[in-house]
Order: sequence, then C-alpha cells, then structure tokens
Amino acid sequence: MNATMLSDFATRAATVGVDVVPFAVPFFILTIVIEMVWAARRDPTAYEPGDTLTSLAMGLGSTVAGALVAGLIALVMGWLYAHRVATVPVLWWTQWWMWIAVFLLDDFNYYLFHRSAHRMRWFWASHVNHHTSQHYNLSTALRQTWTGFPALSFAFRVWPAFIGVPPGMLLTVGGINLVYQYWIHTEAIRRMPRWFEAVMNTPSHHRVHHATNPRYLDRNFAGVFIVWDRLLGTYQPERDDDPVRYGVVHQLGTFSLLTVAFHEWASIARDLWRAPWSAKLGYVVRPPGWSHDGTRDTSDMIRARWLAGQEQV
Amino acid sequence: MSGAFRETVTALLARPDVGPVLVQVATTLVSLVMILGLYALARSLRLGGDQRIADADHAKRLAEETWPGFAATEVTLDRARIGALVRNVEGRVLLIRRHGARFVGRELTTHDGIRLDRHTLTLETGDRQAGTLTIDLGADAQIWAASLRRLIDPARGAVA
Repeated sequence: MNATMLSDFATRAATVGVDVVPFAVPFFILTIVIEMVWAARRDPTAYEPGDTLTSLAMGLGSTVAGALVAGLIALVMGWLYAHRVATVPVLWWTQWWMWIAVFLLDDFNYYLFHRSAHRMRWFWASHVNHHTSQHYNLSTALRQTWTGFPALSFAFRVWPAFIGVPPGMLLTVGGINLVYQYWIHTEAIRRMPRWFEAVMNTPSHHRVHHATNPRYLDRNFAGVFIVWDRLLGTYQPERDDDPVRYGVVHQLGTFSLLTVAFHEWASIARDLWRAPWSAKLGYVVRPPGWSHDGTRDTSDMIRARWLAGQEQV
Repeated sequence: MSGAFRETVTALLARPDVGPVLVQVATTLVSLVMILGLYALARSLRLGGDQRIADADHAKRLAEETWPGFAATEVTLDRARIGALVRNVEGRVLLIRRHGARFVGRELTTHDGIRLDRHTLTLETGDRQAGTLTIDLGADAQIWAASLRRLIDPARGAVA
C-alpha cells in the first residue's frame, strides 16, 4: 500500500467512516470455537449453552437495533458537524498522530459513558444486560444492549463532531474500540505482561469489572486504556485471594431474551408508578439499588457493609 | 443458482431502496445460523455440565455469595441437590437454586406461595424472574414449612 492509497483510505475512514466490526466477525466466531474447546478440556462450567445462546442472540439483536437507528445517529453527528465551533484544515486526518489523538479522546468518552452507565440507573437500564451473564467468556462480550439509542448513550461519543472531528472518524475509532474490548472477555488468559497490564485494559482488569464481589463493584470502567481508571480513582486490581464471581448483585436467574433486554426498564417503570412524587426522579437518575425508603442497597452500601465486616474480622 | 434467480437478486441489490435492506436481512439470517451452530457445538461438547450443591458448606458459600455477610446457621438441601434453603442468625431465609451451570439465591419474604406436600416444598419468592421451585427436603420439609411461617419481610421489618 503506497502513500496515496493510505491517504485515500484515511480520507474515506474520516469522512464516510469504516466499520471494522464486520471484518472482525469471522475472528469472533473462530475464537469462540477455540475457547469452547479449551473450556471442554479445562473447565466445562466456563460455558453454559443456554447462556451462550442468550449472549449471542443479544449480540445479533443489538446489531439489528443498531442498523435501524444508524441513520438517526449519523443525522445527529452530521448536524453537530455542520454547526461545529471549530474548523480544522482539510485533510488533517491524513496525519497519523491525529488518529491517535481522536482514538484517545473517544476512549476517554467511553470511560465517561461506562462510568455513568453504572452510576445512573437510566443508563444502567440499557447497559445492565451486558452484565447479566454469570459466566465470563468471549460470548459474554457479544451480550450487547438493544436500548442504547433510546437511552441516549450515544451522546457521550458523538459530541466531538461539534468541535470539528469528522463523524466518519468517530465511527471508525468507535468500531476499533468495540473490537478491542471483545478479547478481554475471557478467563483463558490469566495475566498479560506487566507493562501491558499497566497501560491497557486486559482480561484480568475486565474480570474485576464484571464481578459481584463487594470489593470489585463499580471498578475498572475502561474501554481500551486502563489509565483512565488509574487516574480517576476507580482502578482495582484482580486479587488471587478473592476469586471473581460474575453477574449482577441480584442475579436474573433466567436466559429469557426479553427479560435480559428489558428487565431494568420494566423495574424502573414499576418504581416510578409506586414511588411518591418526591422520589420518582431518584429512581431514574440515582445509582442502581437506590430506594427512597432505604430497603435496597447500592454498590457503595454493599461495599461499605462488607468493609465494616472485614474490619471486625 | 439459476440464471433468472441470480438476475433477480442482482437487480434487487442494485436498487437503493431494497439493496441495503436485503443485505441486512441476509446478514442477520447468516448470523442466526452461526449462533445456532455455536449453541450446538456447546451442547455437543457437554459444556455447563450437571452442577449440584455438594453439601451444606457449599450451600452456605452460595448464600454468602448471594448476600455478602449472610451468616448462615441452618441449611436444608434438596435430595437431588438442585436447591437449598439457608437461614441466618436473624431468621432471614435464602432459597438457593440451580440456574444452568451456576446458582442463584432469592430471599423468601413471605409465606404466601409456599406449599407443603409431604416431603416437598413448593416455593415462590415473589420474584417473577425466579419463578417457582419445588424441592424435596425429606423429613425436613414439615419442619421448614412450619418455620417459614415466621419469615421476616425486610420492607416492613416485621414477621410476614
């Protein structure tokens, strides 16, 4: 590939956008097969057929939902770009370092989105399905949301168009970010080299994120670079003396697709119906587990109680 | 593929109002076949296995995992070891039941929906997702059925 072709490709990736996810699908399937064979030999409980079917079907549904609203998101990005407050020189995206800068910005935006998705129930309702599996394998990575668009989660990732980042560029780096996060959903890899663990999100870091152990709740929100968690005080290393248990605090106990996709939305609706007027907003914007009468537990409350118990021991 | 069919498909793909939808539908169908293939592979490799609650200590550990700090004092196991009831010092009771290759726990907060039939107890936790579970507790069934009349409802802080 010569310099002209590379420049043309960069221009296309920045203007129209290059969706890298379809190119990764054969890799997804091949690696899931390999991990299943690994599980059959090492730990057959690492996979559960019903759980896998649910995860993969959620992934497919998410793709369909994404295709249905792709035009609307493109429209929002196009509008932001058309009303941008800064105009950068044409062809600036042919500079390789600008791609790295935009990738870093997008990854930081992912961190903000992801942290919000665990700390505000509205976004959690859309994101929770990704955490409903009690298993942690490559199929879990594909257990993706169907309701990201109505939850307005995309707002965290599209705003750079308003400061002059071309929408296509955001779509391209967003796809690369998504594909990176696939391989970290595995128990087959214990630890990566120390330098890698220090900078990048890894299977070990992300296992912590999927844990229900009190010590690990609401930690490691990173997408690609774990440095955001280290910098912002949400980092927790995996400990050998505290093996990870996966899922959500109140395990769903079902493989039903509709329940996995919509249960938290239904729960919010029930709470809004029953709660007094002064508390209704809290059930939408406060952390998951919050209740106006104190009958439920948030992650912070569970951790605090656990820490108090540890001190007594 | 016959020539006429190929021509029809090519013509449809070339139409901007039909082509992208056709590609999306075809991609979805192929993905569906792949998913079913992976599910079949997982079953043929016997992944998941047949998980049972090993003993009372295992049930206590599962209760502690469900509810950090749950200090279990009493346990009764289903004879097939697919479920258990675990009580803590405060008198609160967790139902542990198998879910695929893992276990889930639910607190029993009311005696409503609990039915005794000789050696079996049928339990509803009030949680629609958890459903109903019938466990065979042998001689323990009558003792636990009687004690479950004094359940604590955390929402009301009283015996339910």
